[in-house]
Amino acid sequence: MKSQTGLLFALPALIVLFMLIAYPVAYTGLLSVTDAKGNFSGLDNFAAVLKPKVTVQAFINTIYWVFGSIVFQVVLGTLTAILLNQSFFGRGALRAITLIPWVVPGIVAATTWAWMFHTEFGIINYMLTGTGVLQNPIGWLTNKDTVMPVLIAINVWKLFPFVAIMVLAGLQSIPNDLYEAARVDGATFWEEVWYIMLPSVRPVITAVTLLLVIWGLNSITIIYAITRGGPANKTLITPIQIFRSAFESFQFNQAAALSVIFFAVTIVVVFIYIKVLSAQPGEAK
Amino acid sequence: MGSVSIRNARKSYGALEILHGVSIDIADGEFVILVGPSGCGKSTLLRMIAGLEEISGGEIAIDGKVVNSLPPKARDIAMVFQSYALYPHMTVEQNMGFSLKLARAGKDEINQRVGKAATVLGLDPYLKRYPRHLSGGQRQRVAMGRAMVRDPKVFLFDEPLSNLDAKLRVQMRSEIKQNHQRLKTTMIYVTHDQIEAMTMADRIVVMHDGVVEQIGTPLDLYDRPANLFVAGFIGSPAMNLLGGKVADGAFIAADGTRIALDRAVPDSASATLGVRPEHFRLDPNGIPAEILTVEPTGAETQVLMRLAGHEVMGVFRERLTVGPGENLRVSPETGSLHLFDATTGQRIER
Ligand SMILES: Nc1ncnc2c1ncn2[C@@H]1O[C@H](COP(=O)(O)OP(=O)(O)O)[C@@H](O)[C@H]1O
Ligand SMILES: [Mg+2]
Repeated sequence: MKSQTGLLFALPALIVLFMLIAYPVAYTGLLSVTDAKGNFSGLDNFAAVLKPKVTVQAFINTIYWVFGSIVFQVVLGTLTAILLNQSFFGRGALRAITLIPWVVPGIVAATTWAWMFHTEFGIINYMLTGTGVLQNPIGWLTNKDTVMPVLIAINVWKLFPFVAIMVLAGLQSIPNDLYEAARVDGATFWEEVWYIMLPSVRPVITAVTLLLVIWGLNSITIIYAITRGGPANKTLITPIQIFRSAFESFQFNQAAALSVIFFAVTIVVVFIYIKVLSAQPGEAK
Repeated sequence: MGSVSIRNARKSYGALEILHGVSIDIADGEFVILVGPSGCGKSTLLRMIAGLEEISGGEIAIDGKVVNSLPPKARDIAMVFQSYALYPHMTVEQNMGFSLKLARAGKDEINQRVGKAATVLGLDPYLKRYPRHLSGGQRQRVAMGRAMVRDPKVFLFDEPLSNLDAKLRVQMRSEIKQNHQRLKTTMIYVTHDQIEAMTMADRIVVMHDGVVEQIGTPLDLYDRPANLFVAGFIGSPAMNLLGGKVADGAFIAADGTRIALDRAVPDSASATLGVRPEHFRLDPNGIPAEILTVEPTGAETQVLMRLAGHEVMGVFRERLTVGPGENLRVSPETGSLHLFDATTGQRIER
């Protein structure tokens, strides 16, 4: 078949796709360079959003949030996968249970955890003070030093099962012979993990990490539902800043400008990430 | 050094017993081949020696030391797997040096030993390659090299040639044999291919349904199979087995054909006579046989014929001009006959 004929068949789908993707992007671009009345305003909106300190803080918070989450999601997820790949009684049940946090809707999880971390009524303070670990209850979600780590912990709890399931699938595709060969070669369990399991699932971890980066950069639900960016903007990440300036302050044009900047930075980050990883001399492709 | 002694070894999976008490004594430096049909428990036994499979009963000792409860790495063995089991994300060099690296050997020592094994196996040009960029034969050599680098007490092979094409298999057979002669290390080798066993082994262990049927040198097994199973399993084309009885110092086939025996044998109501295909002679006074198929291979002619009510294979050095449907007269070499008790399957010594 000629390539033009193929194009003809694909055209309707391409047009729909183009409109679905290109239109919102283009419209955001348009919004970012106009004022509220629709008049062209050059880079005014960009200047306006970059000026306040809060924008910089939101950027820093975003990086803290994304990297803090991903490190623990990947490490905890991979360790869980390794555990779930061993054979022991009740493994099937444990695999199913592990998936629960991922299956629970984000808003439900956020609300539940918000209650559990509540300063006065939360079960966590109750248990910690009750057993004497803590003298006085901690304001987990109101203390500026604890709020971000707590939110990251909730985010890790929500997504590590995803990592675990993906890595587990990768581990299950490793032929048993390789473990046996390693055992004959004198490997201990942790040497098997390091030299056989991890290299074999590296492509999976790479792909999953990329997804986690994208999800982390886009995540709104947990933070917005629990702290809305507070206290004192300690948990304000850029997506929430955009959301709030658009739908709470109704500054659509400034929100659009911030979106464009954020989009550009995100693209750069993701590109660097892919480049760095594909440059490694990995073999298990 | 590398003697292996297997005493009444048993293996069960749950209630199902796979190995029913296997005893084999392997001397240091010997090349022993475990052969038998698929599913008879060869791999299981080999894996028990390696420490990859628990030993349900009996004892396995390496170099005089019982290893039942030792993990593989404490047994000083090396194993070549049927699938080769090369680490896909390591180069040939890293694959071969992996065990030394785990043993915390120095870089220089690893390089030197890997280099030496690679030279012997002709792998020098491939050291930096990954397994997926190697041919089947090269992978096989890497698997061998990985075992050789360790200089173990015992090499274990589980059907290492079964993934290779016929020509390469013949070549690798002789390479493995040469390596054995050079290294003089004990080798235990599993195969279902009796030709592989016959051509390579110092001694063959024939297994069947979880028991040892016979242990002996290749020619021992060929010339004096201990029972009907070994008689039928060793040799290609297989030994012809005729049912009948022994009376008056002769074998009487079921259809009444009389075949003389060279020595007095007690009468027996049910016996099986074994004749290897190459032990038939053309003989104008012999037993009449109807020719079914004729297959000339050049050096010899294989003839499938109906003789004494059985389909019987004969191999003749002569070039035969007869064809299917015609008749032939043949007689077995009296001195090369095998006689078995048909009920117990055991050989009747003549
Ligand atoms: N893990 C297992 N559980 C149950 N049965 C097994 C297991 N592994 C092997 N077997 C059985 O043990 C028998 C011998 O297997 P194996 O040693 O692999 O045979 P071989 O190598 O001679 O072909 C087979 O009948 C096989 O089905
Ligand atoms: Mg096998």
